Amino acid sequence: MRAAIEAARSGLDVAVVSKIYPVRSHSVAAQGGINAALKAADSWEAHMFDTVKGSDYLGDQDAIEVMCREAPSDILELERMGAVFSRDSEGNIAQRPFGGAGYPRTCYLADRTGHGMLHVMYEQLVKHGVFIYDEWHVLRLIVEDGSARGVIALELDTGKLHRLHSKSVVIATGGYGRVYRTTTNALSSTGDGMGLALDAGVPLMDMEFVQFHPTVLPRTGILMTEGARGEGGFLVNSKGERFMEKYAPKVKELASRDVVSRAEQTEIEEGRGVDGCVLLDLRHLGAEKIKTRLSQIRGLAIDFAGVDPVTTPVPVKPGSHYSMGGIAVDKDCQTAVPGLFAAGESACVSVHGANRLGGNSLLETIVFGRRAGVSAAEYCKATEAKPFPDSALREACHSVAMILKRDAGESIFALKSAMNDAMEDFCGIFRNKERLAKGYGKIRELQERYKKAALGDRSDYFNNELLHYLELGQMLDISECILLGAMNREESRGSHFRTDFPKRDDVNWLRHTLVHKEGGEFRLGYRDVSVTKFKPEERKY
Amino acid sequence: MKIQFRIRRYNPNDRNAPEPYYQAYTVEVALGMTVLEALLKISEEQDSTLSFRKSCRSAICGSCAMTVNGFSRLACNLQVLPEFQKMGGMTIEPLANHRAVKDLVVDMTPFWNKMEKVNPFLMPTEKTASNAVSAEDEELIDQSQKCIMCACCNAECNALEIDERFVAPAALAKAWRFVGDVREGHGVKRLERLSEEHGMWDCVRCVHCTQYCPKGVAPLKQIERLRSAAMKAGILDNPGAKHVEAMAESVEKFGRLDEAAMTFKTLGFLKSLGKIPLGIRMELHGKMPHPYIVPQIEGIEEVREIYREAAAREKEKKKE
Ligand SMILES: Cc1cc2nc3c(=O)[nH]c(=O)nc-3n(C[C@H](O)[C@H](O)[C@H](O)COP(=O)(O)OP(=O)(O)OC[C@H]3O[C@@H](n4cnc5c(N)ncnc54)[C@H](O)[C@@H]3O)c2cc1C
Ligand code: SF4
Ligand code: SF4
Ligand code: FES
Repeated sequence: MRAAIEAARSGLDVAVVSKIYPVRSHSVAAQGGINAALKAADSWEAHMFDTVKGSDYLGDQDAIEVMCREAPSDILELERMGAVFSRDSEGNIAQRPFGGAGYPRTCYLADRTGHGMLHVMYEQLVKHGVFIYDEWHVLRLIVEDGSARGVIALELDTGKLHRLHSKSVVIATGGYGRVYRTTTNALSSTGDGMGLALDAGVPLMDMEFVQFHPTVLPRTGILMTEGARGEGGFLVNSKGERFMEKYAPKVKELASRDVVSRAEQTEIEEGRGVDGCVLLDLRHLGAEKIKTRLSQIRGLAIDFAGVDPVTTPVPVKPGSHYSMGGIAVDKDCQTAVPGLFAAGESACVSVHGANRLGGNSLLETIVFGRRAGVSAAEYCKATEAKPFPDSALREACHSVAMILKRDAGESIFALKSAMNDAMEDFCGIFRNKERLAKGYGKIRELQERYKKAALGDRSDYFNNELLHYLELGQMLDISECILLGAMNREESRGSHFRTDFPKRDDVNWLRHTLVHKEGGEFRLGYRDVSVTKFKPEERKY
Repeated sequence: MKIQFRIRRYNPNDRNAPEPYYQAYTVEVALGMTVLEALLKISEEQDSTLSFRKSCRSAICGSCAMTVNGFSRLACNLQVLPEFQKMGGMTIEPLANHRAVKDLVVDMTPFWNKMEKVNPFLMPTEKTASNAVSAEDEELIDQSQKCIMCACCNAECNALEIDERFVAPAALAKAWRFVGDVREGHGVKRLERLSEEHGMWDCVRCVHCTQYCPKGVAPLKQIERLRSAAMKAGILDNPGAKHVEAMAESVEKFGRLDEAAMTFKTLGFLKSLGKIPLGIRMELHGKMPHPYIVPQIEGIEEVREIYREAAAREKEKKKE
């Protein structure tokens, strides 16, 4: 939406295509905040350093510099559009401290930062008269003779397929958290754009880097924010031990996300878990503090886990949270295909490298969303419209008809469940050669079964199952990319932890993984990391 | 525990059953399970043709509003067991006041159109754009900013049920979001438009919107803020504002409402004539208030004192 606004401002005819209404996008769920060095005592260089270090030196420093430099003006632009960030006592934009940051530089809108920002984007779309194709699911990116021509989308309401012919396309389809069983992501976060880009001949980058958040409710995957530990909550195992004392004696529960997630997983795998979880114990904080400072968390625990943290510890476990990898783009959001751009969580610029810092991804959507809009607009002004290939719509209709026609076959829900198990068990927090190979074999098998799966719903109107079938296809491809990247990266860096290669290896692995799809087969490649200001050193907190 | 769900099914495209009907599904419900989880379980394990909207499953995206046991709710933050125990059943239907498209999916187009009608974006002027927003200014629009556009309020709105052109509570709460913003430059123009027919004065104050909003937006409160802002801005040339003015005047004079006089003052002489048949019917039923024998209540001086005090405070505020 940020890209659309920017392109519309430059006078172009723009439309947004979204499989759910744009204000339903999962950005809406981001609570914590958005980073920018606004204060005189802070600087974009400091923000840049924290981001580079957080990325375990895999982030491209030229791109990170762009993001940190432009962050303050983009925050102010959001306010000009209508956002109201929370104020401090002097009436300035308030900033809170966040994990991995050397200065409190996270701006927020109460505990609904993403919601506030997303609604402002919607407001500006309306203001600029951008047309919204809502509940249209894109199922093909059309690329011909090496340039983008538009997309084909399924109108969910009627089941009709449409061609949307355009000079350029910006992909901003979010993350793929639903590849895993336990995830903080929405039901709609299925990474579609990444799969579509692969099919259009664009490589994905650094897919093996998946961030796991340590405090997620089981079953629903709902996030208990870091604030719970920030306020002094304990993590305990089945024996009632505060196990973080063992893994991070100094900072204990406040260690970084990957460290806490690994500690929890160890406890669970070594049999000291409680029904596959550990317990987040807040009782010692007292009812008063829980009700005032952690009211949102309390509400979520009551609504979604059925327990009140005032009287009962809350079962939590690690869950997939963020996709560091994505569609490979440069810092102007250009993909390998002219006319095709990408931004947000679906893209990999890369500003997050091997590990994302909290508050940097909303920032990425805003900075690079704007930049993608500018790039797309420049491209449109400099090029003539090229024809939309006639056969494309026919082929897409044919393939959808074939899916709907298939009589007997497995249910897609069984397949999805099997994929979730494979990824959670073999490609989760702890990885090794054996596990990954098993996972890979499993996903390859599911790819074959997928081609023969059949739907129970054959109708046109609002066919959710068809939508989920298409999403599953993308997720299987994404799973395969994650596994391929993880199998080959024989080191541990950021979120990617190999028990058989527990050390970072800058000599061989200070480089990005690229996965291409050609003729249905996946091929690996690598690319150097941009290192400008900060030379790699050990990452210690 | 096994619980039976009665779900209203509808597929106008289905030649065998083009009319709505109810279908029962039995679901094994675990502690803490939400209605949305139960629906997902049904669609994954029993019947994949069941259509409903969902995304965030954490009560923030606004997708999953539907009617559960007669009331508008978000499926994703409503737990099955307590609801079942309280209501003795589980009947799920699409949102009211909206056209069903398929099963639990309703046509949201009118909802978005109403939103767009109130120009849901900040329109600062050069002068107002740089107005600093203080924590108190922020507080004033905070509630209205919590809206997730789920349409529960519109589904329960009595005024919308009668008049589908009524702008309805969700969009009115959004309108206050801008009218109440110190950086807004066209507040008065907005209020004038909102005072037109089908606008904010058509709300009948049934409080349903506030009661059923899952996010504490309290749309009626925002409507009241809009109304008093309009009156302050002197936008009085409409039945709604006149009604309020007449009410205030009556209370000041008599310490209570002179209902008959109010009709006259609200609608004007000619339109009041149109109400004569209603008046006759009311008279026959002994419900007609009698204008000539309105007595002043005891302690009328106290009421007037309140008015004087309020006026004085208003002046004081303006001086500051
Ligand atoms: C619970 C939670 C809390 C978070 N908190 C923070 C935080 O505090 N700070 C921070 O910086 N980050 C946070 N993040 C991360 C951040 O919110 C996301 O990375 C970011 O919002 C992603 O935005 P996006 O625009 O790329 O994608 P999304 O907001 O997910 O939007 C994707 C859009 O693409 C559309 N789409 C997808 N597929 C298709 C298709 N096939 N056809 C048509 N349309 C399609 C969808 O409809 C949707 O509109 C959080 C994430 C989660 C899950
Ligand atoms: S109070 Fe007014 S706006 Fe709210 S539901 Fe009732 S009639 Fe509708
Ligand atoms: S005001 Fe409340 S009920 Fe109405 S749309 Fe907004 S969040 Fe939903
Ligand atoms: S699924 Fe998002 S509000 Fe219920």
